[in-house]
Amino acid sequence: MKTISEKILSKRSGVDAASGDIVTVPVDLVFAHDGTLPLAIQELGGHSVKFPESVVAFCDHASPSPSEKVSNVQTLMRQFAHAYGLDFYENGDGICHQIVLERYASPYKIIVGGDSHTCTHGALGAFATGMGSTDVASIMAYGKTWLKVPETVHVEVSGKLPKNVHSKDVFLELLSQITADGATYKALEFYGDTVDAMSVESRATLSNMAIEAGAKVGMCAADKKVEAYLAHYGRSNEFTPLYADKDAIYIQKVRIRAETIVPMIAKPHKVDNVVPVTELEGQEVDQVCIGSCTNGRIEDLRAAARILDGHRSKARLVIYPASRDVLLKALKEGILETLLKAGASIGPPGCGFCIGRTVALGDGEIALSTQNRNFKGRMGNDTSFIYLSSPSTAAASAIGGKITDPRGLER
Amino acid sequence: MRIEGKVVRVFPSDTNTDEIIAGKYKYDELDLHKLARHTFESLDTHFYDDCKRLKDPILVAGANFGCGSSREQAPQVLKACGVSCVIADSFARIFYRNGFNIGLPLVECESISNNVTQDEMLNVDFDRGVIRSENRNAEYRFKPIPQFMQELLERGGLMQYLDARGGFTD
Repeated sequence: MKTISEKILSKRSGVDAASGDIVTVPVDLVFAHDGTLPLAIQELGGHSVKFPESVVAFCDHASPSPSEKVSNVQTLMRQFAHAYGLDFYENGDGICHQIVLERYASPYKIIVGGDSHTCTHGALGAFATGMGSTDVASIMAYGKTWLKVPETVHVEVSGKLPKNVHSKDVFLELLSQITADGATYKALEFYGDTVDAMSVESRATLSNMAIEAGAKVGMCAADKKVEAYLAHYGRSNEFTPLYADKDAIYIQKVRIRAETIVPMIAKPHKVDNVVPVTELEGQEVDQVCIGSCTNGRIEDLRAAARILDGHRSKARLVIYPASRDVLLKALKEGILETLLKAGASIGPPGCGFCIGRTVALGDGEIALSTQNRNFKGRMGNDTSFIYLSSPSTAAASAIGGKITDPRGLER
Repeated sequence: MRIEGKVVRVFPSDTNTDEIIAGKYKYDELDLHKLARHTFESLDTHFYDDCKRLKDPILVAGANFGCGSSREQAPQVLKACGVSCVIADSFARIFYRNGFNIGLPLVECESISNNVTQDEMLNVDFDRGVIRSENRNAEYRFKPIPQFMQELLERGGLMQYLDARGGFTD
């Protein structure tokens, strides 16, 4: 009678684990990026990396490097990776979480990332959680970590989502119900025929946002869609089905009817400050940003392109594909042409606008972004305002330069 | 273990890691003491100086303190400011783990942010799980921290703890 988390942690710790137990597990993948690896290297000190094949480094947050200081920090990372023969992803390869989805994550893996959105990989049935640089260093040195087996919140979404309403809106609706610390120390598990009908890319948005409710992990079942996703990336041999037991015990159950979900917006400066788009229609925006580990996948760019096709964006429009693979697909499908003709500024795969280091807002400016967080100052300016939405809402809003309900569009 | 100090600030619920230390700095500056000057910059430009004026300043906060990013620079800059411990109604998970990993004492005490004010002198007894206000002769209880987590603090952090034990003994 195990939840997905209990199953994974029991199997990997070799102990019959239940919620509340503390277990020690080997870590299959530990990764960090230009914001967190340098500090981890410092913390590692004189220790060696025990299992170099399990450690991966990414230049994605301040990428390409905008300054000498950042370049020097990235040099440090490059030298470290070279010394140990680690997989190293350069500026322009993409966001760590997108690359991990494409190339590394799979069911039953234990993944620790030096980044809070590591929970993304729960969409492929991995127990994936974010930790700080010292934890990353200790895993590099010892190959293991300790974890408290979380209680799980069962989230069931059933029915059919309305046109131009997406998994991002589903999560924002959930967040409005359970709030920013509603799942602290807990796992989220996503179920229901709506989730079954979602692509892995859509589910990844749900898993990615789990941390915004304070959750440790955001798990989805590893079903046929996960199998197909892994096959697409040449990793069929990594698939194993993974479902919770029917009689698993959950600490809380949340039920959402898909038909009732509307496009949602998270208002400044908190992610759970959520309202339906209808309450904000007409709010002017200076810059629309489409991308990030939350909504920078090919499916998101397709949705944006479908809406923007034939239009010219009134707002400044900045689009950052989440990985080289996404960018190549966008190129092949003619999406880049559509976005460029709509006035988009297309960035190199990476975090870009989300973290405010290579892209920043002006004083008092208003951004609408498909990212995961809208804390004060996040996009590089303490006096700016950040609204969060789905890619469809963002694209629709770019056209008129003001927040727009995407359900009202022809497409 | 005991800590005694003045409350340097009481922050509201959901004070996040972007507020503690803006993301834009973490790619530039590995020197945590230099970085510390930017602690809480977007909310409170006097924070660093006020901490440095006190011996063992204590930071108090509402619920979900440290929510947001996993950046370890958040508890690190607080420690570099000289904060002796953080007492909050509750903590966000990653921040809580990071605090202990770097040897910054964190105490979870329900409703503490409603009960104490800035400049109050507090005495925190980790073994008994009691916070005492010297000004008002009032006491607040908290669940004592598990033994191995106290050991993390005593050793100065996770790496020191693991090195002393030769790794994860399970």
